[in-house]
Amino acid sequence: MNGRFGLRAALTAVVAVTLAGLVTGCGGGGDASGPTTIRFVWWGNEDRAKVTKAAVDLFMKDNPGITVQTEYAAYDAYFQKLSTQVAGGASPDLIQLDRATLGEYQHRHVLEDLSPYMGKAVDVTGIAPALLAGGKIEGKQYAVPGGQTTQMLAYDAGVFTKAGVAPPSGPGKTWTWAQFGEGLRKVAATGVAGTTDFGWAIDWFEVWLHQHGKQLYTDDGKLGFTAADLTQFWTLTGDLRAAKAVTAPEVTTKMDGSMPNSGLVTKRAGSEINYDSSLSAYLSSYGPGIQAAPLPTDGTASGMAAMPPVTFAVAQRSAHKEAAAKLLSFLVNNPEAGKLLGVARGLPPNTAIREQVCGAAQAATKAVCDYEKSVADRIGPATGLWPTGSAAVKRDFQRVYDDVIFGRTGVADGAARAVQTAQQSLGS
Amino acid sequence: MTQAVLDRPVAPERAVPRRRRAGQGTGYLFLSPWLLGVLVLTIGPMIASLYLSFTDYDLFDAPRWVGLDNYATMFTRDDRFWHAAGVTARYVGLSVPLKLGLALAVAMLLNRARRGAGLYRSAFYAPSLLGASVSLALVWRAMFSTGGTADRVLAAFGLDTGGWVDQPQFALLAVIALAVWQFGAPMVIFLAGLKQIPKELYEAAELDGAGALRRFRSVTLPMLSPVLLFNLVLETIHAFQSFTGAFVVSSGRGGPSDSTLLYTLYLYQRGFTDFRMGFASAMAWVLLVVIGVLTALLFRGSRRWVFYAGESR
Repeated sequence: MNGRFGLRAALTAVVAVTLAGLVTGCGGGGDASGPTTIRFVWWGNEDRAKVTKAAVDLFMKDNPGITVQTEYAAYDAYFQKLSTQVAGGASPDLIQLDRATLGEYQHRHVLEDLSPYMGKAVDVTGIAPALLAGGKIEGKQYAVPGGQTTQMLAYDAGVFTKAGVAPPSGPGKTWTWAQFGEGLRKVAATGVAGTTDFGWAIDWFEVWLHQHGKQLYTDDGKLGFTAADLTQFWTLTGDLRAAKAVTAPEVTTKMDGSMPNSGLVTKRAGSEINYDSSLSAYLSSYGPGIQAAPLPTDGTASGMAAMPPVTFAVAQRSAHKEAAAKLLSFLVNNPEAGKLLGVARGLPPNTAIREQVCGAAQAATKAVCDYEKSVADRIGPATGLWPTGSAAVKRDFQRVYDDVIFGRTGVADGAARAVQTAQQSLGS
Repeated sequence: MTQAVLDRPVAPERAVPRRRRAGQGTGYLFLSPWLLGVLVLTIGPMIASLYLSFTDYDLFDAPRWVGLDNYATMFTRDDRFWHAAGVTARYVGLSVPLKLGLALAVAMLLNRARRGAGLYRSAFYAPSLLGASVSLALVWRAMFSTGGTADRVLAAFGLDTGGWVDQPQFALLAVIALAVWQFGAPMVIFLAGLKQIPKELYEAAELDGAGALRRFRSVTLPMLSPVLLFNLVLETIHAFQSFTGAFVVSSGRGGPSDSTLLYTLYLYQRGFTDFRMGFASAMAWVLLVVIGVLTALLFRGSRRWVFYAGESR
């Protein structure tokens, strides 16, 4: 040590530099695109990645002038990275989005209006109009559905049989919420929770709202439910939680729809509500015992809806929009690509390819096709896009539910807070 | 009294040659890459960040001037801001003293070790080298999640706490433990400081009949106090800025139930997931001011307990 002045000066200098680094944060990435290299990004598991890469390889073989770089990640990580890349000027060219994020990115002028590409680079003639509407905002096509999905209860048939519970299967079969709860309690008696606590996702609450003739969001983008509705829903799951018929808070808090965090896949629950586009992922992560059943309902309305699990959009700042649009169209319409992709993003969006894929279906693909067929007459049309701010609403919904399941807030108070923060998010 | 013991001869000052103007020019020339870096990568972004803090900026469209709106919202209408500030206060208040205490304790042990000292030093320093890495935090999450190693070991001892990172009352502790474990950097600095303390002081104190505890209090601590201040200030600043551990352990959410929502994590969420970059910039400036004030207070308070060699009081 050099005495007081030397040390003080050194310390002051270090402090100054450290503090200065704080407010500057980190810079953006570089620009990686060459003349005809495009980047295509999505979220999903290994299975989805494998088939998607195979389809992309096929595309590159058909289009020797275009090189496609691919990236994928889990849902949360994907969107964290995507927003950073887009903000830093290193946006991917073809982007996978979903109901909660499509409006968000369109509103912020990140996405290219695909209407001028229709009939040229992009062909959507094979997609049913109701499904195609899932990519439309204010009459303009900003994204194209990458598949069709609907809600399901994935369950381990062995666990349910052992508990003496027979879930409904086949066309027209269904169960009431009371029967469902009764079944979950019976499963719980065998030592595993009946199902993953389904109060965490606003998606499953949406189904429950539809069953009661209500909506998550009104057509003009406002909140379509009240704190009383949410209190009723969370009381339903709360009663089941008290009986250990649904997973414990430590498991529920990790839910994000992904397989590694799934209560069912980690064998802490005998079943789990999800979209049927995940059914093949359940089958490969869990094993062949998984089957799909429709969600319970007390009335005639199933509340379930057919919608795109993911959509593909082209970035407005892409230097190669034409090439990106071409890849998009290829993924959706090419029969060979369709065969490779199978049901990795739900049923193929193109009706002709769907028939082809389901006609030759085996194993996981067959399970998805069979399930969709069994509920086909009961699922409503697509419920449309979620408004801007809905990504925050979805996130806050889960955060407040965390407080509820860990006993940090009462159900009614939590519901009131969820409604209040949701209204703020939608207003901003 | 201790004062008599601690006074020691000061090394004679070396004669410093008078600088010439030409020499200054060369100096600046050699400094220019660094100066350029500071201007472009630090001062520039700082000015931009200050400007953005008065705007509504969503990353993609042009910023819109809103004056002090961001600051007003933060302080009056944002519960999560205050919650994040509270979590951060708990994190800093617990992790800094624990980390420094452990660093000092291990440094003192290593100072005495003769055989294999180099090996031990590297072994204890290794976690700090890995410190900023995401993989380490991932391992931490795996260890402390439900059914993880820590969970099973504790269960074997009858302490069935479940996974730490999955429960609001324990999750922050797991993140703090990760930070404390990376005590290598302050330890190395402590070790250097300990080596500087003249052996004669201990011998003299021992002759005066001072026990181990007394020697620590009257010789080690005062002689080490400048180093202690250095470590305290740096670790406090670092703790306020910690991000990676909480981010990875909670998958970027700050959960469960917002229990690991550090200030920087909330700042990141506002900026990059809510697209409120103006608000996030304002938060960064508030943090800068808070850390600045705290550092100034630490310096002021240090006059009472930091002893510099050659100083007479």
